[in-house]
Amino acid sequence: MEQVAVGLSGGVDSAVAASIMIEKGYDVEAIFMKNWEEDSEYCTVEQDYKDALQICDKLNIPLRSVNFAKEYWEKVFQYFLDEYKSGRTPNPDIMCNTEIKFKEFLNYAIDLGAEKIATGHYVRSEHSKNHFQLLKGKDINKDQSYFLHSLNQNQLSKSIFPLGEMNKSQVREYAKNKGFHNFNKKDSVGICFIGQRNFKSFLKKYLPAKSGHIVTDSGKLIGEHEGLMFHTIGQRRGLNIGGIDSKNSKPWYVIDKNINSNELIVGQGNDHPLLYKKYITINDIHWINGEQPQMNNLKAKVRYRANDYSCKIINKDSSGITVKFDEKQFAIANGQSIVFYKDENCLGGAVIDSSF
Amino acid sequence: MFYFDHSATTPLNPEVMELMNQTQKDFYGNPSSVHSAGRKAKSIVEKSRFKIATAINASPEQIFFTSGGTESNNQVLWSMLKKPNPHVISNTIEHPAVIKVLKHLKPLGLDYSLVSVDNNGLVNLDELDECIIPKTQLVSIMMSNNEIGTIQPIKSIVKLIRGKNILMHTDAVQCLGKVLIDVKELDVDFLSLSAHKFYGPKGIGVLYVKNKKTIESLLIGGSQESGLRGGTENVASIAGAGLAAEICCKKLKENSKKLKMFQTYFIDELKSCFPDFKLNSKSEKTLPGLSNISFPGFRSDILLAKLDRLNIAVSSGSACGSGSPKPSKVLSEIGVEDSLNLSSLRISFGSTNTIQEVEFLVKSLSQILNN
Repeated sequence: MEQVAVGLSGGVDSAVAASIMIEKGYDVEAIFMKNWEEDSEYCTVEQDYKDALQICDKLNIPLRSVNFAKEYWEKVFQYFLDEYKSGRTPNPDIMCNTEIKFKEFLNYAIDLGAEKIATGHYVRSEHSKNHFQLLKGKDINKDQSYFLHSLNQNQLSKSIFPLGEMNKSQVREYAKNKGFHNFNKKDSVGICFIGQRNFKSFLKKYLPAKSGHIVTDSGKLIGEHEGLMFHTIGQRRGLNIGGIDSKNSKPWYVIDKNINSNELIVGQGNDHPLLYKKYITINDIHWINGEQPQMNNLKAKVRYRANDYSCKIINKDSSGITVKFDEKQFAIANGQSIVFYKDENCLGGAVIDSSF
Repeated sequence: MFYFDHSATTPLNPEVMELMNQTQKDFYGNPSSVHSAGRKAKSIVEKSRFKIATAINASPEQIFFTSGGTESNNQVLWSMLKKPNPHVISNTIEHPAVIKVLKHLKPLGLDYSLVSVDNNGLVNLDELDECIIPKTQLVSIMMSNNEIGTIQPIKSIVKLIRGKNILMHTDAVQCLGKVLIDVKELDVDFLSLSAHKFYGPKGIGVLYVKNKKTIESLLIGGSQESGLRGGTENVASIAGAGLAAEICCKKLKENSKKLKMFQTYFIDELKSCFPDFKLNSKSEKTLPGLSNISFPGFRSDILLAKLDRLNIAVSSGSACGSGSPKPSKVLSEIGVEDSLNLSSLRISFGSTNTIQEVEFLVKSLSQILNN
């Protein structure tokens, strides 16, 4: 019987994933990961562990626990801070998958004697044409391929995604029928280590906030910001500059950040031309198959849950790679990832360096 | 189940369980009630108090029931707050039920010093002597450490502080039934016990208090336990604790001999199948049956999981917490480097183990370590 380690978070998705693996006849053990050391009202790790333990008791499988707080701090959190420091909008969840879940955790599971790991991600994988393919989850609202685009062949060959064919309501239904106490547990949203707390005060604990001017795209000074790192491109709320021009009361949007002058550049209306860009430059690109697939009708999304839009890789040289979209894209944030698709197939992706 | 984690907790003695069941069923009265149901319950509590007193050579009026070792330790330490400008001396490898309490009480006005230990975990007596200042009110040193088993020279410590108006507390939860506890000979003022460490139930503990005037109550409420511990007595557990103490002290010699034999056999066999192991405490005076061993090149959490699959229970570091592989503070304090620290297991035999079980442990460990 193939031995599989399921990453159990205490949530409903991984609980159902574990249960399905047992039904499929695998020899299943669960592993609970602790990636953040903090005792505060915002940290749910204690309750999550108790939830995981109850699920394991129900499924009659052992629960191991492992602490990757040090690795997480060094490889995910430092990257997160560095990116904010340089005015970008990082995606720590992608980094967590690359560095922790499908690296540290996978290696740990293998050290424990497992042959593969299974997780509660809403994606599918297939082995065809001598390659492991990553496919979008059947539940298109929940599809998590955006977060897993940086997996490689080795990681995919050792990973099973039992929820790929299900949608969320089916997962909850399954959990309810199984009598899982957490069948209705709220999904975790946002950045896991921040939780429900105020993003601004969290970030301020770790990075010095430098206040500066808010200027319009034509250079007019219209306000003050508390720090560029609190803002991201396309942001509308929290600028405190509403009602300057009462006649033209279109809302203000963040359209750019100038790190050198510490200026936040804003424009009015979500149709502001500077909010829309056709070209994106990226540096290191990762292809799930190991190389760029030969195909024309490539599509990509520039943020989680965005639609896929047609694009082409038009330039590749030592200075980087340029991607051109057929249509202009709204609010592209540097530091987020661009992820490439061919239909259901997630091909890979890269971190956005700039756009124009 | 092959259970070798008796320092974490012990299985309930069947005789004790029987007595507890019977007590729950037949003696439901509140010991504070004056009717016959209450009197019966009260007499059970007092009978148990007598048994505990006998087990440690105390008088019954010096025995107070608590919810466990943690509460007993807390009661002693919190009591010190009532004294003017108190100072407490403890050591760096105490259980969190002492060290964390001291840290917690510091902002409330309790000052403390932690004495270091040597490579075998023995408290440095010269350092302790130097820590004594005029306002020192209490020295709290555990009788035996829960991770490495080192038995502290309590009598020598008491000699150091006698005549200086300093009280002595010892957390002896690891000791009852394994080494002789004689409070008169030790001459301590307070001593903590916990029934689940000696084949009794969980959730019941004992605080020995030499002189009632030196202690304050922690849980305020009714006048139970001579006014020193409010709350209706946990009659069945108290009954269980008394019987468990009586049984384990009656078999003290026999059991400690057995535990030593298991340990000798285990270490000896381990030498032939995995000679690279390192013993983390080489103290001469140590708890029988407890070994803390490092297996260089192996991570303890992986070893624990592999043993768990064979239904073998041992532990790494301390059993409290949800099992994240952090270096044990106790091992760090006795100078065990991090890599060896993270590869350590604590194996603690108990009186219900058999030599066949110990053989199985060696065989299984050997398979895991040599594969």
